[in-house]
Amino acid sequence: MKVLAAGVVPLLLVLHWKHGAGSPLPITPVNATCATRHPCHSNLMNQIKNQLAQLNSSAKALFILYYTAQGEPFPNNLDKLCSPNVTDFPPFHANGTEKARLVELYRIIAYLGASLGNITRDQKVLNPSAHSLHSKLNATADVMRGLLSNVLCRLCSKYHVAHVDVAYGPDTSGKDVFQKKKLGCQLLGKYKQVIAVVAQAF
Amino acid sequence: MALFAVFQTTYLLALLSLRTYESEASYGSFLEIPEVKLILVGDSLIQQPATECLRSVYTVRVLSEPLPLTPESLKVSVNSTCQCLHLQWTVHSLAYHQELKMVFQIQISRFKTSNVIWVENYSTTVKQNQVLHWSWESELPLECAAHFIRMRSVVDDSRIPESGFWSNWSSWEEADAQNLLGHDPLFVFPKDKLVEEGSNVTICYVSRIHQDNISCYLEGVQIHGEQLDRSVTAFELKNVSFIRKKGTNVFCKMEQGGVLGGIVLFVSKVLQEPKDFSCETQDLKTLTCTWDPGSDTGLTKQPSQSYTLFESFSGKRTLCKHRNWCNWQVAQDSQETYNFTLLAENYLRKRSVSILFNLTQRVHPMTPYNLFPKNVGATNATMTWKVHSIGNNSTLLCQLELLTEEKVIQQHNVSIKVNGEYLLSELEPDTEYVARVRCAYTKHFWKWSEFISQKFNTAEAAPSEAPDVWRNMKMVSGHPTVSLFWKPLSKVHANGKILFYNVTVENLDKPSRLEVLSIPAPARSTELTLDQCSYQIHVTAHNSVGPSPASVIVVSGDPGNEEVEKGRVNGTEDGFSVSWKPQSGDATGYVVEWCDGPQDLPCVLQWKNLGPNTTSTVISSGAFRPGVRYNFRIYGISTKRMAHLLEKKAGYLEELAPSDNPQVVMSNLTSHSFTLSWKDYSTESQPGFIQGYHVYLKPKAGEQCHQAFEKTVLPEDSVCCKYTIDNPEQKTFVVENLQPESVYEFFVTPYTSVGEGPLDAFTKVTTPDEYSHILIRIILPMVFCVLIVMIICYLKSQWLKEKCYPDIPDPYKSSVLSLIKSKENPHLTIMNVNDCVPDAIEVINKPEGSKIQFLGTRKSLTETEFTKPAYLYLLPTEKNYSGPGPCICFENFTYNQAASDFASCGHFPVTPQAPPPQLGPLTSPENLLKALEQNYMNSLGEIPAGEANLNYVSQLASPTSGDKDSLPTNPPEPALCSEYKMQMAIPLGLASAPPRENSSLSSTTLLGQGEHCS
Repeated sequence: MKVLAAGVVPLLLVLHWKHGAGSPLPITPVNATCATRHPCHSNLMNQIKNQLAQLNSSAKALFILYYTAQGEPFPNNLDKLCSPNVTDFPPFHANGTEKARLVELYRIIAYLGASLGNITRDQKVLNPSAHSLHSKLNATADVMRGLLSNVLCRLCSKYHVAHVDVAYGPDTSGKDVFQKKKLGCQLLGKYKQVIAVVAQAF
Repeated sequence: MALFAVFQTTYLLALLSLRTYESEASYGSFLEIPEVKLILVGDSLIQQPATECLRSVYTVRVLSEPLPLTPESLKVSVNSTCQCLHLQWTVHSLAYHQELKMVFQIQISRFKTSNVIWVENYSTTVKQNQVLHWSWESELPLECAAHFIRMRSVVDDSRIPESGFWSNWSSWEEADAQNLLGHDPLFVFPKDKLVEEGSNVTICYVSRIHQDNISCYLEGVQIHGEQLDRSVTAFELKNVSFIRKKGTNVFCKMEQGGVLGGIVLFVSKVLQEPKDFSCETQDLKTLTCTWDPGSDTGLTKQPSQSYTLFESFSGKRTLCKHRNWCNWQVAQDSQETYNFTLLAENYLRKRSVSILFNLTQRVHPMTPYNLFPKNVGATNATMTWKVHSIGNNSTLLCQLELLTEEKVIQQHNVSIKVNGEYLLSELEPDTEYVARVRCAYTKHFWKWSEFISQKFNTAEAAPSEAPDVWRNMKMVSGHPTVSLFWKPLSKVHANGKILFYNVTVENLDKPSRLEVLSIPAPARSTELTLDQCSYQIHVTAHNSVGPSPASVIVVSGDPGNEEVEKGRVNGTEDGFSVSWKPQSGDATGYVVEWCDGPQDLPCVLQWKNLGPNTTSTVISSGAFRPGVRYNFRIYGISTKRMAHLLEKKAGYLEELAPSDNPQVVMSNLTSHSFTLSWKDYSTESQPGFIQGYHVYLKPKAGEQCHQAFEKTVLPEDSVCCKYTIDNPEQKTFVVENLQPESVYEFFVTPYTSVGEGPLDAFTKVTTPDEYSHILIRIILPMVFCVLIVMIICYLKSQWLKEKCYPDIPDPYKSSVLSLIKSKENPHLTIMNVNDCVPDAIEVINKPEGSKIQFLGTRKSLTETEFTKPAYLYLLPTEKNYSGPGPCICFENFTYNQAASDFASCGHFPVTPQAPPPQLGPLTSPENLLKALEQNYMNSLGEIPAGEANLNYVSQLASPTSGDKDSLPTNPPEPALCSEYKMQMAIPLGLASAPPRENSSLSSTTLLGQGEHCS
């Protein structure tokens, strides 16, 4: 029971984060034994690679779809509005060990997943008729959820990492509409840039 | 009370003294106010009774110095959402009065205190320690400029008549929202501004970097503003219009530095007042209110307008779930009158509309149900239906309508409670009807309910009218035959589906059995073969109920002579107006008959029955076409129901110009005239009445038109002569007065009242010269004679050849002989063939592939050797040559002179030698001939007939080069007595070389007297 309370429950919380989660999860160092609900997939790394490749292949289209839906001045001022200068974005070192890379990947996907949730929520209000954008955002979020689960499974099964401290991007709910659009665009630009590097690293 | 009066008097005196003091000292910010205790009870201030005040709380003091009423504790806050400044303050100096009406003057400055942009007096009633509030909405976004606010006050209370002087100004309070901004270099305000369509919006930007090259755009169009400060520029957008629900990006960007800031502006449509607001009930239990909501003002920033229904008598309200209707439950306390207010609101505006009504006057019954016909007959039916009850024992007025072909033909009103029933009569048999019912509340008519409809068909009845029958008489194989036609009965008269027609034939001249024919529908005609008698024919139409009245017509087997007057009829847009002379006698009616189609198509017989007093009618038909001739026949109907042809008329709905020209035949061409004819041209089948023909003639250049012709210019600007034939039956024309040996072109076209036919190509004709016919009379017989001679020559060619130029000329008949005889040697004689011994026979074979066997050498020749002549050595050659011997000579004109000339260089003696054994018999002439014949026949056996020539060659003939192998190689020695002159066979191709005069001599081997071959 202690294991469940101390290790698995935070994991479940991480795996089932919701849209709009704005504050980082409490970083609770856990020394308990790692456990997963289900056995991990036998070919987990391939799964992770495929999911990264899938995200990488669709990131550019998602980015274009997003800034097109925001209207002028976004499509013609990408450098000013959508430059990938996102502060507090989790770092990634491609030359690290697999364990380190997986931990960093976990943080990145957790960050991106939360931000993507904010963007999806905002766009449903700001661009209610942009159905293709909504669909693409949801599909990307679905893949990220699966990727997060696989990464954690890998960390748990091979490296016995039961918990990873994660941080999330700023909550956009209090921002004005233009700022929401801009933050979303910057995040997706950053996502497009980062996911290419990450996919290459695996 | 007395004490209170004293107090009040003292107070007023004090005020008076204060006033005097103030005027002297110009000191106006203090008011001498008695102290009154105010007790806070809950949210209300309660004034203590004066007596109590005097007794227990405060002592009244006579104020010798005024009480300052300056606003205090002024606080200013900024609300960015509404771009409002909120002010709150208190007036602490209030002490003695429970309430005091005051005026606060508020000043607002922008950027600096001296730049006052707003002054407003705010009047309110003030209580002691009350926190006062006031708001001001700024047009310029508050983030773009610092604002400064101060205020002062004045007592404006009628109870203090001399209190109208202002207090001191409060200190300036600053409201600067810029302090709240971050460190971005460029900000644009207001954020997420929501305005109504047509309003004005001020947008501003704040630049941390003081640059001039900042440009702002709205929908891609640059906007220009006014610089308010070093770092602030404002843009006023006037009369903004709705663009889209998700707002419009307004952005500003620095040309240098890559900085871009923006906002989203939301422009809402103006909320409209609900239109056509009304409420009604179907059952006195639920009210349904409906309205026209107008434009949807929903944006991503603002939800669509909401609607709230409020009833003032009951004080109830409900938030409507739908944009255009709302339900309201009627109270059980039998409330009859309702006052509804419909409130529409969004973030920017509210609109309302009210109605007042009595519930029973707004009853809109539900649609009736269970509408059915029962007892449906041919002419009547009973309709039943039900209604939903309204309240207890309410009566409904129902309206029953009967429709056919979407037209209302009957309408009945019935008052019912629950069940309705009505008998519909005067219906048509076999007709589809629609019955529909709607109801209204009888007590107070408000609205009809919706209709409920039901279709039904009435039953059939016997046809009510006889069919319209007509006939057409004709002779078929010598028998009079009548074709009967009838028109299908109209639906009104058929009263059902016509199943068959009965045709009854009765002989009027002699009693006989009635002949009845039953013709199934939908046939519309039949044919009867009759004899010379008169017949009465009855035609009846039958449906499932019974027959129609009979239509009677009488026909006679004798068609009679029906030559009648023919006329023309004019067509108009309405049809043909046909008139005729009334028939003298007892005509019971007239019939006009025609065919709907053109003449060249099978006739679709049409007819029209007319009354006895009618002498004209208009025949119209949708089938009539312009340019088609229609023939009309007018019959009179006698009392015996027999028809007699009265007149024939023909006409066009619209005449057209002829569509084609006649095929013109030219004949009788002479040097001065020719005849044109077009007898095959039919004037009947033309698209108009042919009035005549135009004959166009193009004369040769420079020739004038003849007197009967007129000069005319054709459409292609060529000039020609035109002759008009005004008789349509004249179909020949003689063109006269022409010039011999001239080319003329002619062209014939008909014309109608509309115009002439199309301009076709002209036909050329050339007139002959005047003597050509004489020449023809001579040359033709001559040619005929020559032909006869040639035919005879051809048929008798063999005989002629033998007579004139035989292959082997008869020396006795040769003229050469006589010439030689007369000039040189009168003793020349002709050598007899029987006296000569041939030495060789040359056989020439032409066919390829065959082989020739030589008698002498037995050597076979291949096909490459066929050009080489084959020799039959009839006399000994080099091997068996034994000296001079007899020689043979032939006169053969086919021998080439050149060859003979060549041979003339030497005469070779013939060396007698014993012939080879196998040739021994040939030495005698008879044997030789036999051998020749035999060899020749053998050769024919191998060579196709007609392709081998047998020539005689001189014994000393020089062979051709190709013959060297087979001919003797040793040079012949000179002959002792030889008089041979070389003869050489020549190919047929070379034989055609023209013979020279001496060649005829040299080619002929003549033997002089005393000279002979030995």
